[in-house]
Amino acid sequence: MTWFLIRRIGQSAAVVVGVMILTFILVHMEPGSTARAVLGLKATPARVAIFNNTYGLNRPLVVQFWLYCDHVLHGDFGISYSAGQPVSTLIAQRLPRDAVLIGISTVLALIIGIPMGLYQAIHHGTLRDDIVAGTWFTLYSAPDFMEALLLIAIFSVHFHWLQPSFPGGITSVGGLFADPSALVLPVVVLSINSVAGFSQYMRSSAIEELAQDYMRTARAKGLGERLILTRHLLRNAVLPIITILGLSLPNIVAGAVIAEAIFNFPGMGLLFWQSALSHDFPVMLGATLIIGVATVLGNLAADVAYGVLDPRIRHAV
Amino acid sequence: MHTTRKLVVMAAGLALTTLVAACAAGNAGKIGGGSAVKGQAIKGGTVTVAEVAGSPNDIFPLLPSTNSNGFNGDLTLGLWPWLAYSGDGGKSIVNPQESLFSKLTYSDNDKVITIALKPWNWSDGVPITSRDFTFVYNLLKWNYNDWFGYVQGLFPVDVSKVSTPNAHTVVIDLTRSYNPTFYTDNVLAEIPLLPQHAWDKTSASGKVSNYDETQAGAKAVWNFLQAQGSDMATFATNPLWKVVDGPWKLAQFLSSGYYAWVPNKNYSGPDKPVLSKVIWTPFTDDTAEMDTLRSGTSLDVASVPLNDIRQIPALKAEGYSVAQVPLPGVAEILPNFYAPVAGLLLRQLYIRQAMEYLINREQIVKKAFAGYADPGNGPVPVQYGQQWDSPLEKAGGPYKYNPAKAIALLKAHGWKVVPGGTDTCAKPGKAADECGTGITAGEPLTFTLLFATGTESYNEQNAAFQSTESLGGIHIALKGEPFNTLVSTTGTCNGQSHPAATCDDWQLEQYGYNEYLMDPSGAGQFNTDANGNYGGYSSPEMNKLIDATEYGSSNSAFFAYEDYAAEQLPLLWLPNESDVFVYKSNLAGVTPLNPFTGLYNPEVWYYTKPAS
Repeated sequence: MTWFLIRRIGQSAAVVVGVMILTFILVHMEPGSTARAVLGLKATPARVAIFNNTYGLNRPLVVQFWLYCDHVLHGDFGISYSAGQPVSTLIAQRLPRDAVLIGISTVLALIIGIPMGLYQAIHHGTLRDDIVAGTWFTLYSAPDFMEALLLIAIFSVHFHWLQPSFPGGITSVGGLFADPSALVLPVVVLSINSVAGFSQYMRSSAIEELAQDYMRTARAKGLGERLILTRHLLRNAVLPIITILGLSLPNIVAGAVIAEAIFNFPGMGLLFWQSALSHDFPVMLGATLIIGVATVLGNLAADVAYGVLDPRIRHAV
Repeated sequence: MHTTRKLVVMAAGLALTTLVAACAAGNAGKIGGGSAVKGQAIKGGTVTVAEVAGSPNDIFPLLPSTNSNGFNGDLTLGLWPWLAYSGDGGKSIVNPQESLFSKLTYSDNDKVITIALKPWNWSDGVPITSRDFTFVYNLLKWNYNDWFGYVQGLFPVDVSKVSTPNAHTVVIDLTRSYNPTFYTDNVLAEIPLLPQHAWDKTSASGKVSNYDETQAGAKAVWNFLQAQGSDMATFATNPLWKVVDGPWKLAQFLSSGYYAWVPNKNYSGPDKPVLSKVIWTPFTDDTAEMDTLRSGTSLDVASVPLNDIRQIPALKAEGYSVAQVPLPGVAEILPNFYAPVAGLLLRQLYIRQAMEYLINREQIVKKAFAGYADPGNGPVPVQYGQQWDSPLEKAGGPYKYNPAKAIALLKAHGWKVVPGGTDTCAKPGKAADECGTGITAGEPLTFTLLFATGTESYNEQNAAFQSTESLGGIHIALKGEPFNTLVSTTGTCNGQSHPAATCDDWQLEQYGYNEYLMDPSGAGQFNTDANGNYGGYSSPEMNKLIDATEYGSSNSAFFAYEDYAAEQLPLLWLPNESDVFVYKSNLAGVTPLNPFTGLYNPEVWYYTKPAS
């Protein structure tokens, strides 16, 4: 297991370095003048020259990459062209809030999705299974923004029950809970898609497990149905969900651009989107690197968790 | 006698009414201009203003050249207003009451400006003096290249000497004569005074001295203030920013862009704030803002995107009033006179005239902008300009929508016109009845319009442009790009930069509007090689007329320039959208909005109690 971990961490580090190099090259291949994109229509040649000099854009690409690596190693990722703040500050302001909001949504989705999947598996092939699956697939296929706007129209505009957006003064994780009524709709919207995914994975996995010999043995031994479901079926059927959870770590870090825009929640998604529009390279590179690291860590965590939960994998390694 | 008695009674009644109104206002302190009082004024209260798709990131009022964030002005103008206060009742004139000068005199053939400062104080009680002006001048003299507000050739490089005969008089010697209106409106109304007694230092713990009087010292002070100004975490706590001369002080600033003003109790100006707090709350985009408005929350003042204009009746039902303000600027389709093939077509005035005749501006105002737009008859918007509008522009401009005239023009210049199809040049050549220099036989009259995406009203406008141009056989292909991408790839395609590669990539472009200061001068836009002359238009006559508005003293010079520009079409004129706002109906003083000070002047706002 130790050797497995060392090997996986080594691979992960190589992937992260690869992501850094690739994104740096791709970002600098973007056509047009960065200085003009940031300074807008009032970009005089003198201002463009000062801008390029200030941010080192007039230096050779190799030197720029070296400076970028220096910033990464110092943990600040450089200065944002448009915000004028260190990229690390911008990310630090947003990432924890995103992690909490999307984390809550993911937990909620698990709480609903896993029992739902089990329920469908137990009743698979029946009308109940079809109704539940149909409902979730309908919600899954509806665009996020449509669900968000629909819920806002009903619960905020019509009934005035819930806040349609987060107050603009939120700067910390604690601020998310200052007005819990603002938290409800984004959490619901972000959960809907995940519930569909989790429940369907759980359903397939549970149907597969239900057909296994050990399930028949458990029943033949006279175990109660509840015990069979919780101790045997759930534990074995939940394994694919671990993989999905690990793979969803980058989603938590990358934010949810549409929900962030609609619910006035400036997170990582909007930061990345706006930086891409305004040629804000340091932010794009910083955000991409963080997402890359999260992807690698998510995969690693899924592998390790899988090994811990499934002795066959642990022993095979 | 009878008539006289009647007049006396009427006068007494009027005086009484005035007295009652004054008493009501007196409850809330002295209240400036703005919308009519509908109830009794209330002292205090908090107003929350929506700030959409952006927020400030620098508090030092002289922004560095690398910072183009327009939201910084919203933050700083209430704290450090300009020497000459821009806009009065929404009009493009200097507001003498709010300005920091009591008298402004131009002499010596308009080469010398004498500024008499009002005996006002900084918020810490120290008088505002001429030394504060020299502090600003010295900082800019040695750092103008790193100042975002610097316009090539203007302040401070056009100043040969600044002297201060006494504590409240500044004498500026200019290197040449200027039109006083131009200089006051577009230069002095862009410069704040800064507190030398508090800011002339090179470190937070250092002492204040006269560092600004040497080049090295001025640079050190500049660098120190710039560094402090960009430290968002200390905007509300840094002692530097607590010394203000405007009506407001910054009480709170959060990294999200949320901030709060409270009254500067030592403000010397006439409009002392009545409200106890103004909160600026950020929104990621206008959808979030509109949802918040519709949900009946505590948002008091907010902009309404034109896409959501149909929501106005619902907002009125929620207790909001509606205001609109024409934006000082000119909207256009920008022709690239240096595009390889299209440039040859666009250099022909008759082709630009035909294209303008085919723009149904009236319909665009109605359909794309729901009526909230200036018609765009020429280089000066007729809805805000007042004294700047020539009779020609007021009458609808030289090229009212007329497809028949467009077709006639094209036929008269040797084009085979195919309405609904694509015209082709049938008579190449340079003669008056031929297509023009460089245009070959069979060449199609076709262009690609590059436009900034993300605004539905622009999409509709450009679709309408495409549609009506086709009535004259001019084929327009539309290509949308995000604004920043569009700006970054366009460049300035003038004589200096041509043949830069970026100039060849576009033919026509539409990105919004070019902003004007109070004097809607063509300087910097239409003169040859001006930085804002993105398409490369060049005309000696235009240069001469613009110079006359900037440096001459003739009152008729502006109209001469304006009419010439309207006719010569350095740009294809388009309607310019207005900003539409809603505000709580019990909030008075919001209108008229002042487009020259970030629209809002909350120092003249106050809540009213309904009259019982």
